Amino acid sequence: MLAASATSVPMFLVLSACAGPDPLAGPPPLSADARGLLDAVAGEQDLISIYKKTMAAYSPLASALAPLLAEHQAHLTQLRARVIEPPGKTIPSTAAARPAIPGTREAAVAGLRAAEQAASTAQLRRLAATSPSLAQLYASIAASEATHVTVLSARDLART
Amino acid sequence: MAPDGLQALQDALAAENAAIYGYGVAGAMLNGEDQASALTDWRLHQEARDTLQAMITKLGATPVAASAAYRLPFPVRDAQSARRLAATLEEGVTRAYLGLVAVSDRTLRTFGALAMQAPANRAAAWRGSTVAFPGMPTPGA
Repeated sequence: MLAASATSVPMFLVLSACAGPDPLAGPPPLSADARGLLDAVAGEQDLISIYKKTMAAYSPLASALAPLLAEHQAHLTQLRARVIEPPGKTIPSTAAARPAIPGTREAAVAGLRAAEQAASTAQLRRLAATSPSLAQLYASIAASEATHVTVLSARDLART
Repeated sequence: MAPDGLQALQDALAAENAAIYGYGVAGAMLNGEDQASALTDWRLHQEARDTLQAMITKLGATPVAASAAYRLPFPVRDAQSARRLAATLEEGVTRAYLGLVAVSDRTLRTFGALAMQAPANRAAAWRGSTVAFPGMPTPGA
């Protein structure tokens, strides 16, 4: 019956949710906290993917976008450090989203701006019900993404 | 309201009071657009102070008073050090609002998370660059 208890949800545990699993009971259901953390990891991976594609498509933007990409990579590192992977399982390391990069530089920058705003708002939804330290990490990342929205709103960025 | 929420609100108010004082010092060393920005930011901190004072009073507590003077983190003698002071003040306020995100009250958490975004943006503007983790004690941690 061990195999029958497997769920379709990937089995990852958050540090704060480790409450002595029974080895015979199969994987415990994923807590809301763990799902939030995995969503945050996936969100950062998606953003990183969009940045890389945008920089590849519009090389004049690369130098302006590189610091923002580096900050997202730092976010991802910190978020992934909070996830415990059970033996034999790994967190998907590739982005799930495959967005098309818009055909003009202005639209590409606008797309990044919208993605940053959406990511920032999503962090705020996660922080109410989690541990104080994870809540602060989400809030700090949300604020970082808010500063990215400002950078991406600079009038000359889309035209440089 | 749990006591941790009230203390975090008082800490945020103390940071706003320090910023209001500091912008007075920084503004005197700036001119042109920078001085106009400092004046705008000074007013925004006064509004934020009023909001925090009202929240604390509503909880039946006495808002912490501003000090008559504050020790500056470094000498401010020219425009460059004044801009650096403004960035430092905004970082202090950002950090104080991030303290609210660790309290047990969910409404206050969200308030702190939203309130830290404006000072994080102003800090980036004065610094001329963004950071990965606004408000966190050590950069990159």
